[in-house]
Amino acid sequence: MDYQTPLRDMRFLINDVLDFDGHYEAIESDASRELVDTILEQCARFAENELFPLRASGDKTGCSWNDGVVTTPAGFAEAYATYVQGGWPSIAGNPAFGGQGLPRSISLWVEEIMASANMAWTMYGSLSRAAINAIDSHGSDDLKATFLPSLISGEWTGTMCLTEPHCGSDVGLLNTRAEPHADGSYRISGTKIFISSGDHDLADNIVHLVLARLPDSPAGTKGISLFVVPKLLDGALNGVVCGAIEDKMGIHGNATCTLHFEDSCGYLVGHANDGMRCMFTMMNEARILVGTQGVCLMELGYQVSLQYATERLQMRSASGPKSPDRPADPILVHPDVRRMLLTQKAFLEGGRVMTYFAAQLSDIAHRGSGDDRASAERLLDLMTPIVKGFVTETAFEAVNHALQIHGGHGFIRETGVEQLVRDARITLIYEGTTQIQALDLLGRKVVMNQGKALMSFIEMIRAEADLQSGGPFASALRELADQWGELALGLGGKATGDVDEIGAASVDFLMYSGYATMAYFWARIARVASAREDDAFMRGKVKTAQFFFDRILPRANAHHRAALSGADSLMDVSASEFGHH
Amino acid sequence: MLPYMPPGNDIEFVLYDLFDAETEWAQIPAFDSFDRDTVRAIVTECGKLARDVMAPLSQSSDEEGAHWNDGVVTAPEGFKDAYAALAAGGWLGVSGNPEFGGQGLPKMLTASLEEMFWGANTNLWLYATLTVGAAICVDAHADEDTRRLYLPKFYSGEWTGAMALTEAHAGTDLGLIRTRATPRSDGHYSITGTKIFITSGEHDLVKNIVHLVLAKVPDAPAGSRGISLFLVPKYIPGDDGLLGERNGFESASIEHKMGIKGSATSVINYGDAIGYLIGEPNQGLACMFTMMNYERLSVGIQGLGLAERAYQMSSSYAKERVQGRVPEGSRVANTDADAIVGHPDVRRMLLTQRAYNEGGRAFSMYVGLQLDRAKYAPIEAVREKASGFVDLLTPVAKAFITDRGLECTLLGQQVFGGHGYIREWGVEQLVRDVRIAQIYEGANGIQALDLVLRKVLRDGGATVGELIDDIRQTEVPERYTAAMDEALNAWQEVTRWLCDSAPSDSNLPGAASVDYLDVTGHVLYAWMWARMAGVSGSTDKRYVADYYFAKLLPRYYSLVASIRGGSASLMEPSSDWF
Repeated sequence: MDYQTPLRDMRFLINDVLDFDGHYEAIESDASRELVDTILEQCARFAENELFPLRASGDKTGCSWNDGVVTTPAGFAEAYATYVQGGWPSIAGNPAFGGQGLPRSISLWVEEIMASANMAWTMYGSLSRAAINAIDSHGSDDLKATFLPSLISGEWTGTMCLTEPHCGSDVGLLNTRAEPHADGSYRISGTKIFISSGDHDLADNIVHLVLARLPDSPAGTKGISLFVVPKLLDGALNGVVCGAIEDKMGIHGNATCTLHFEDSCGYLVGHANDGMRCMFTMMNEARILVGTQGVCLMELGYQVSLQYATERLQMRSASGPKSPDRPADPILVHPDVRRMLLTQKAFLEGGRVMTYFAAQLSDIAHRGSGDDRASAERLLDLMTPIVKGFVTETAFEAVNHALQIHGGHGFIRETGVEQLVRDARITLIYEGTTQIQALDLLGRKVVMNQGKALMSFIEMIRAEADLQSGGPFASALRELADQWGELALGLGGKATGDVDEIGAASVDFLMYSGYATMAYFWARIARVASAREDDAFMRGKVKTAQFFFDRILPRANAHHRAALSGADSLMDVSASEFGHH
Repeated sequence: MLPYMPPGNDIEFVLYDLFDAETEWAQIPAFDSFDRDTVRAIVTECGKLARDVMAPLSQSSDEEGAHWNDGVVTAPEGFKDAYAALAAGGWLGVSGNPEFGGQGLPKMLTASLEEMFWGANTNLWLYATLTVGAAICVDAHADEDTRRLYLPKFYSGEWTGAMALTEAHAGTDLGLIRTRATPRSDGHYSITGTKIFITSGEHDLVKNIVHLVLAKVPDAPAGSRGISLFLVPKYIPGDDGLLGERNGFESASIEHKMGIKGSATSVINYGDAIGYLIGEPNQGLACMFTMMNYERLSVGIQGLGLAERAYQMSSSYAKERVQGRVPEGSRVANTDADAIVGHPDVRRMLLTQRAYNEGGRAFSMYVGLQLDRAKYAPIEAVREKASGFVDLLTPVAKAFITDRGLECTLLGQQVFGGHGYIREWGVEQLVRDVRIAQIYEGANGIQALDLVLRKVLRDGGATVGELIDDIRQTEVPERYTAAMDEALNAWQEVTRWLCDSAPSDSNLPGAASVDYLDVTGHVLYAWMWARMAGVSGSTDKRYVADYYFAKLLPRYYSLVASIRGGSASLMEPSSDWF
């Protein structure tokens, strides 16, 4: 198996489609095209040479746990040391604490390049960024000075500790307690599960961001506070014990830990009982990152299945032999193999541009000012559940196509493609399942704000349609713009009469929104690419856009219908009637 | 883990209420002794075996896997005894020819038994299902002596079978195989070559394993017209059935797989192994298809069995797991949260599973019914019509039920949230175990091509038309007639469009095939649901039928639109461009 960083596609989207040059100028960053190029190229070399070789072996060995001590797969620690020496963790870090102060978009691309080569390994560093953001945005100066330099340099790593055995989606139920201590710190006690990178042997210290309850705090989510709890405090153990690691379907190279906090010393981040808001600072970025993981897995799946489809000889083409001198034609000639490849390409490159768009919005939300900033924040809020939910759902479909193209060989571990399916499966679950994203999108981001953000995105679709007036996608874009708005309005209206309507329509609405968003971006890509027909890469973009509109976009219709069909068929059934034997 | 719950009541509902087995079987002499009590006893006993003997070994077999040591393959702990129990109960001969010790049960019934075996323990049942297929092939194509020697051993479970088709360079395209069959002086053949992906090709559950091997005789025509079928036993039996010498093949290794880890998938090396020709030389593919067609329906039912298990686990979890507040009404007082079964989207995930599973159960048993009619109906015209339906529906049963099987096991896993990703909960195993069903016995893309090219275009859509007529004549509740009509019209029109457009576009069948199969499946399930809701006295079926018509049937709109999207967007890019 080989892996090559798709630098051409990345640059095309960054420079030609989304004009990051102009964007960086607007947010007054001195990131130049040359700098970005250098970073991407060097990171590609690191990922291809150091990380990719550990992908399959990391899956095979997995992590091991022995009496509270977690050991990562062979080679992981060395690669992590190289990563820290290379300065990769600090790209977007705050310069006041040793960071390079570059826009977050660049650090997302670095994540993408590394996670395409080795997702399980990359997760050890990814979670640090969430912790850094939470401390940087909400922590006191003391906390920042104590924790940020080592986190930003990568000498320490971070985690997010939310889930407990009885609470996942419903964080309001959590039981972990925080008792105030005379010195202003807190003593944290409780058990957290499913903590990615919760313990390992890559870094000197691990900084946990833990949701817990103060004494006498209100019930539910309004009584939750966020704490920083380091594994080591002044070099001594701080009562954080890894009780076990999970034996999972995939991401075997990443340690998913059960952590017991036993009177561990912790420090409040932000205000008491304001933990949910602080946590969302972490979550929102993490959600975009999970969408990126979907892109990463699709990239590798597309590369390997394309190579296989080119080399594997099986049957003749329906329109006559294409390789008459060989015993059979490469399977790439068969229409259904092409359908599986083009579906991957459409979801992969469409998903990639969606994550880059979100990264652009995130840059503006953090560095822009005034109206630009406010509207970017609103649009990012809208895009986050779509990127997380839709890109991972389509990524899972795409890697299954990659496996399917391999036939029986795809089911065999050594081929390496089934690992993509097992690794991809978690992206539909963690950082809020697809269902939670869908509720967030329809409930909070559309209905609760009267569709404002959605309308601004729909205006972008209309503007694109106007730009392309008379072109092949203009009328489809206009129809989508009308239909999406009406669908949102219709569901909003229904929801006032029946609260179940939101939940009943949510996933269909999310998928519809994903297809519509992706259609917009494919049309935009095709507009840019169609100006340069002499180039096979550009022609490919136009053809993939055509394929998307012909063969993929019709799916939006079915989601539209199902979303509007109401809640009755879901809610009529009583709980006991779900059993049937 | 939750015990396996055999769906015996629903099976009886499908048999008697939906398909009126009583009347059906009264017309067929071979079946007229199967009264309702007998059938209930069979279904109940099968369910008990599935629940008590097979299901408890499913997770442990996944953990442990099969073992290979210097050519010797050992199945997971407990499989040997469980297989012996299957054999002792006569479960391997239920559909066998009574002339040779089989029980000759109707396929409509045995399809439902297979669902329980697959659902309780796919890993174990894989050792058995190939035996059933091998027996069907031997019964249909071998000479009298061979049948007399081998069939009783298959039916009693003393010997198992395996199918050896695939080679490293030849999977879908069997015309490319290189395994050779050289004539020996005794009239038999000497088989040499390497086969891969041989499920149950070697193991320690029984004393003898009988391979059905595709190979080429000298001077055979190139391609698929030059393939012959050979019976190659591990130990060569005497006429008395006693085992003699070890034959010349062995397992070179077993595969490490994504799932079905308890089933041993071997690479088999044949070195001058003695093979007995089955049927005529160069007719091997036709003989093999007898076996393949059985296996294809059965693999479809694998998808159903595992999806049913996913529903059992996830519906039970959804009733126990409390998380979040439900929107209104059914909140439980004095608690912090409600059971997640109250959340609309969790219901969507449960109802989708239930709709596809019970729809799939009815559909797979309907295909079984057609198989019974094709074989046993006293009137020739009935046999012929049913046989046309079997040909048409076999690829649909294989691909549609397994595609839905993956979808439903994924939804079952999703209901568990993060816990679903953890091995000990057992639900992620279902996803890994069902994934292969979309690949083996002809990948689902191949099923779709078979449907469109051979079963629809070849007769210009006549068989589909016949089936649509049948469907139109069935009485369904009024609340579904409009949607049913609309769906049938869409299916009919897109079929006609395909038949009209294919002659001028050789790539269209391949471009439309997967979507077309999906349309077919969705319309047929709608028919099953409308009929079930019509004959059922309880609200259970009506709920699910309502859900199916509101939320799942609409998928055909987009599929039809995609079919009409044509082949240009797929074929325009040159191969280099990709």
